[in-house]
Amino acid sequence: MNARGARAVLWVALLGPNLCSCIASNVVAEDQRLVARDLTALPFVPADASAFTGLYESIDIRGDAAVALRKIYYVFDTAGSYTGAALAESDGQLSFQTLNGNWTIGPEGLVLDGGAAVQAEMAAQHLRLSTPAGSVVLKAGSLQ
Amino acid sequence: MTAKLLQTLGVVFVLSLVGASIFGFMVLKDRVRVVFAADATATGPDPTALLRDDVQTVAREVAALQQALAANFEQLATALEERANARHVDVLLLQQSLATSSTKLAALAQQSEGLRLQLAALPSTIVAAMASNGSVPVQAPLTVAAAGVVPKVTKQPPAVVAEPSAPEPPVTTATPPVPAPKKGGSFLSFQVPGVAFRFDALQDYTIVPELSRVGFDAKSTLHDFSGVTSQVRGSFRADFDDPAGAWSGEVAAVAASLLTGVDGRDEAMREHLATKDHADLRFVLERFTPSANGVDVEKQTVKGDLAGTMTIRGQSKPFTLPVALEVDPQKRVVITGQTKLKLSDYGVPVPSQLGMINMQDEVAVWVALRARVQAGASK
Repeated sequence: MNARGARAVLWVALLGPNLCSCIASNVVAEDQRLVARDLTALPFVPADASAFTGLYESIDIRGDAAVALRKIYYVFDTAGSYTGAALAESDGQLSFQTLNGNWTIGPEGLVLDGGAAVQAEMAAQHLRLSTPAGSVVLKAGSLQ
Repeated sequence: MTAKLLQTLGVVFVLSLVGASIFGFMVLKDRVRVVFAADATATGPDPTALLRDDVQTVAREVAALQQALAANFEQLATALEERANARHVDVLLLQQSLATSSTKLAALAQQSEGLRLQLAALPSTIVAAMASNGSVPVQAPLTVAAAGVVPKVTKQPPAVVAEPSAPEPPVTTATPPVPAPKKGGSFLSFQVPGVAFRFDALQDYTIVPELSRVGFDAKSTLHDFSGVTSQVRGSFRADFDDPAGAWSGEVAAVAASLLTGVDGRDEAMREHLATKDHADLRFVLERFTPSANGVDVEKQTVKGDLAGTMTIRGQSKPFTLPVALEVDPQKRVVITGQTKLKLSDYGVPVPSQLGMINMQDEVAVWVALRARVQAGASK
C-alpha cells in the first residue's frame, strides 16, 4: 500500500464512524407496527338537533354489532325523517339492509321510530351513536 | 385784442359744451334707464348653494335612516330565526313525548287486555278448582293482585289449602303481557345477524389489509432500517378456546410492495427477493401451540406459537412465529408477533455495497395483523 492508499484508509477509519452516526436509524418502533386510528381524541359533546342533517358514513363500529356490520349510512333530514342502510355479513355473504323512518332527539338521546333512546354525541363532522349492543362513529359526507 | 379773442373763444366753448350736452341728453334720454338697487353685498347667500346644502342634509338623514332600519331589520330577522329554532326544538320534544306516550299507551292497552282475559278466566278456574278438590285456589287471585288490579272475589270461608290435584290455571292468563317487538332490530333499528363474537368456536377469519402490516427489521453497517408493507392478504380457521386443535390458513404479502424509505435500496431489495419470479412472501399455517397459560377466555387473549411453512424467493422452510392474539373493541382479532430468520436460508443474497456497507444475514420478521371473523360462519 503506498502512502496515498494509507492516507485514504486513515480518512475512512476516522470519518466512517462519524458518517454512520449521521444517518438516523429507520426502524419502525414495535409499538408503531399496528395500524392505528385514534378516534377517542375527538371532542364529543351531547348532540343536538343541528347534528342530524345530511349524509353520515360509519368509520368505526364497536361492540357485538361490529361482528356482522361492515358499514352504516344515514341521511337525516331536518324535518325529522331519515333513511339508512347497513351492510351486514351473514354466513360470509354481504347484504344491504335499508330503513326509512322518523327521528327525534331529546335529553335522553336520539330516538329512531319511537324506539329506545340512543346516546348521541357529536364532534366536528362526526357523530357517535352508542347502544348496549355497540357504538358507531359516523363521519359527515356529501351527497353528489 | 388777444384777451378779447380768448374771451370770445371761451364763451363759444362753453356754449358749445352746453349745446352738446343738451343734444346728448335729447339723444340718450330714451335709451338710458337708471335703476336704484340695494347694495349687492346685502343680498345674502346663493340660493343654489342653499338648495344644495339642503339636499345634502336630506341625503345624510336618509342614509342614517336607512342604516337604522337595516340594523332594526337585522335584529328582527335574528329574533325571528331564534324563535323559529326554539319552536323547532319544542316541536321535536313534543314529537318525542307523543311517541313515548303512544308506546306507553300501547303497552298499557296490551296489559289491560291481558288482565281482562285473566279476570274473565278467573271464575271458571275457581269453580273448577273447588269442584275438583273443594279447596280454595289462591294462586290465581294472588297473581292478579300482583299485577296491580284488585279483583272482585267472593269472600270464601277460610279453609285449609290442600295440594291441588286439578291442573294449574292456564299460563297464558297469568303471564304478563309481552310488549310488541319494535321496528328494526338490535342495533340502531337494523336487524343484525349473529351479533355475538364467538371466542370458543371454530371460525373463519379474514385478514383486513388496510389495518394490517408485515415487515422486517434489518441491521447494516451504516444504520438499521425496516421494510414494511400493508399489501397483505389471507385467511385462517381457528378456535381460540381450543388451541390444541388444528389451525389452518395462509397469509401472503406482496414482496415488491415492501418499502424501506430509500428508493435505491427498495430496488435492490426487489432484485434480491427476485420479485418478478416470486411475487409473494407466503406463510402457510399448519398448527398452533399455546404457551403455558396462554389462553385466557375471559380476556379473550391467546399466546403461543404459530407453526407452518414460510416461502421466500420460492424456497420453503419450516417456520415458527411466536404470536399474541387479542380481540379489539371492533371485534377484530389482532395478531402481533416477531421472530428472526436468516436470508441465506431462503437463498436471498445478503446485500452488500462495495464490500464496505454490509447488511446482516439475520433479520427480524414481524407481523401486526387484524383479522375479521366471518359473521355467522362458525363451523
